Amino acid sequence: MEKFDVTVIGGGPGGYPAAIRAAQLGASVALVEKEELGGTCLNWGCIPTKTLIASSELFHKMTHSAGIGLSAGNASFDYSAMSKRKDDVVGKLRGGVGMLLKANGIKIFNGTASFAGRNRITVAGDDGKEAAVIETGATIIASGSESTVPGFIPKSDRIVESKAFLNLKKLPSSLIVLGGGVIGCEFACMAAQLGCKVTVVEMLEDILIILDADVRRELRSNMEKSLGIRVLTGKPMEKIVAGKSSVSGMVGDEKVEAEMMIVAIGRRPVTKGLGLDKVGIETNKAGFIPVDDYCRTSVATIYAIGDVNGGIQLAHAATSQGITAAENICTKERKKAEKLVPSCIFTSPEIGSVGLTEQAAKEKGLNIKTGKFMFAALGKAMAAAEERGFVKWVVDAATDQLLGAHAIGAHATELISEAATAIRAELTAGEIGRTVHCHPTFSEVWMEAAHAVHGTCIHAAPKKR
Amino acid sequence: MAQVLILPKLGQTMEEGAIVKWHKKEGDPVKKGDIVFEIETDKAALEVESFFEGTLLKILIKEGITVPVNTPVGYVGQPGEKLPDAPPPVAPAAKPEAPKASAPAKVEVSRQATEQPAASRAVKPALVEMPKAGPSRLFISPRAKALAKKRVIDSANIRGSGPDGRIIEADVLAYLEKNGYSQLRISPAAKNLAAKEGLDILRIKGTGDAGRIMVHDVQRGIAEKPKTMSKMRQVIARRLTESFTGTPHFFVTVSVDMTKLLAFRKELKDRGSEFTITDFILEAVVLSLQEMPVMNSVTDGTTVRWHGTVDLGVAVGLEEGLVVPVIKNADSLSLKELHDSAGILAVKARDGKLLPDEMTGSTFTVSNLGMFKVEEFTAIINPGEAGILAIGSTMPCVVPVNGKVEIRSMMKITLSSDHRVVDGMKAALFVNAVKDKLEDIELWKSLT
Repeated sequence: MEKFDVTVIGGGPGGYPAAIRAAQLGASVALVEKEELGGTCLNWGCIPTKTLIASSELFHKMTHSAGIGLSAGNASFDYSAMSKRKDDVVGKLRGGVGMLLKANGIKIFNGTASFAGRNRITVAGDDGKEAAVIETGATIIASGSESTVPGFIPKSDRIVESKAFLNLKKLPSSLIVLGGGVIGCEFACMAAQLGCKVTVVEMLEDILIILDADVRRELRSNMEKSLGIRVLTGKPMEKIVAGKSSVSGMVGDEKVEAEMMIVAIGRRPVTKGLGLDKVGIETNKAGFIPVDDYCRTSVATIYAIGDVNGGIQLAHAATSQGITAAENICTKERKKAEKLVPSCIFTSPEIGSVGLTEQAAKEKGLNIKTGKFMFAALGKAMAAAEERGFVKWVVDAATDQLLGAHAIGAHATELISEAATAIRAELTAGEIGRTVHCHPTFSEVWMEAAHAVHGTCIHAAPKKR
Repeated sequence: MAQVLILPKLGQTMEEGAIVKWHKKEGDPVKKGDIVFEIETDKAALEVESFFEGTLLKILIKEGITVPVNTPVGYVGQPGEKLPDAPPPVAPAAKPEAPKASAPAKVEVSRQATEQPAASRAVKPALVEMPKAGPSRLFISPRAKALAKKRVIDSANIRGSGPDGRIIEADVLAYLEKNGYSQLRISPAAKNLAAKEGLDILRIKGTGDAGRIMVHDVQRGIAEKPKTMSKMRQVIARRLTESFTGTPHFFVTVSVDMTKLLAFRKELKDRGSEFTITDFILEAVVLSLQEMPVMNSVTDGTTVRWHGTVDLGVAVGLEEGLVVPVIKNADSLSLKELHDSAGILAVKARDGKLLPDEMTGSTFTVSNLGMFKVEEFTAIINPGEAGILAIGSTMPCVVPVNGKVEIRSMMKITLSSDHRVVDGMKAALFVNAVKDKLEDIELWKSLT
């Protein structure tokens, strides 16, 4: 039996930063990982998808570049080579994580962790046999989540979830994307950019329902018009059948058919085998581990961070919580987890969002103003032939406080960080408007939109009264 | 000739009222019987109807301002009509008009001539009491005031060193220096919010990074700011403080076995009768008061007056406070009549439609918290009375009955008495009189 101050269960984007932070603060740290270091994000999520999207986006640009005086008539792609590059990138990053953990003196246990008591964790190998016993002071559960594939969906090679889709060596010629959330929309755009015929089926009234309504409208229009994606919303897909050469199903009265289907209708927490009952932690109805503002579970020495605690299911949220949990364990000061978490969606065009949407602010009864600026009116966007989309500020009418920011367009996922900094610091629209931004850049859009809040835009005609 | 709208006197005890809402704007047509404004007295909010036909020419008293009864509050006349230079004087309050009992909380404004002798023009709205606007006047130089405003601090916290304690710029600077203003960290939005709300940012504790004051810190400061209580709350505060500090209270509690009465009530209900446990309690109190008139009296410390009738107050809790509608001449009502008037008054109370006269003149009060799961409590005597009976919840309790343990439905009642007129023995007799009646099923069989 080995003794550690802190044990982290799961080596994903929440777990490994937590382990490193704890080690930085002088703790002896163990990390238990049952699959690959880097977790879903690095291996089957953020990183591999962005690697593929980098290729698909460039390909789409090349084949649509006549407008900027280029011709790439014979452009083609090799999906298996794209997939291989993805594996290389993932491998390199994974190696990097292992190296960092080692450099920080963190002991890695390969296997499945299970509580034997509040301060005792057993690790079982692939064969299910107990390989190690850890005596630990505190524990951070960072076991993440996995795709949900409900029972009514038939088992077939033609029906995959995101992890299996990433292992494909060949792109299907047509694809049904079941679920119009972040994962579904990203896969839909990537496949469509490579010429795949894509149909998105979303049961709710719109895709990406959590987004600002203006942003949703812009994305949907781009997906439908520029990428030729069929988007079916407001109805579930029923009578799903996986045949020899295709997958089909009914959406309302319409039959939808494609070579393959990807199921992206949600993720469930990974808690099976953790032995939570042995330490008295109860999961909520949806199976998540409830935590307080400090990421603590109902057991004082056990924390839960990232997807498994049912908060915001984003890698960077998990990282932030992991660091907070490690600091709360290893230092005397107690910190709350950051509440303001920006989100990024790598659709075409990209989307960045942080803080309150206009609709959410109104539902809260806040008196707000908004300021919007279109990329089509921005010099750099025009020069770069990236004129789609806009940004929008949501601002408190009484104090001018920035409450929310929403961006859709080229580089939106990069642009959103400036807005996140401004909102967290409780800056005002006036201050962003007075902050000098480089010209010509995409970032100027925030300054212009801040001017728009007060109706003092330089590069937009005054509103008719 | 323009007609004057006045603040009506809606009951013998009403001395002043606040206009809480004007239902008409200046220039709006007004028909006879239209609701023109709403007033809040120390008892209730009431809608006031116009007695005149024409146009609302001018509003003299704005919303939120408290004025004595009979104060002119506005003019009704023909459009373009010339108004008197000065508001007409306050009419002598010698002859109050009794409100119409039948009209639900609507009162007609009494007619009054506008022409008054010039001498009485001196009576300007000097009587008008403005809503409390913070502390008394602050002497501060314009530069100091501007600086304090810019730094978002409250000048009331600064000691002035100028003549008569006038605050000058140097005082503000010294205050900032002394309180470490230069070290203060505050987010821009938090500062804007504090400025808008008139808070002193030096008095706000920051909880952001490195103690930075964030918006939620300012919001906490806003929540902690003193707010003016509603007129109703203020009156409750004044009257109850007077009573509790000026009346020597003492308390006597007994447990009443309600088991049989509950069973009897259920039997009645099954037969379609509407009587409630509250009706029985009120009736038991009325009967007991008739037996012991000392409990139905009032003293000023030197004299004691025994009330000739039992006018029973029944405390009704509302979201915004407490009202005590009065069942007049309860001693001459049958149980059915008592049930009916209690029901009508309770509905009116919840709808805010009680007339002032329906809330004054009680001689004894019952306060029932039975529905709120309390074992027992003590109540404060209403001014003008000698006692109040506090009714707790009826709960299953283990009690000895004939030497055996039984579970019975028990209700604790607590009498608060004014010790200047009521002694312990009398109080004990009274609560037991009420108890005995509630436990006497034969009595209720004869009354229902």
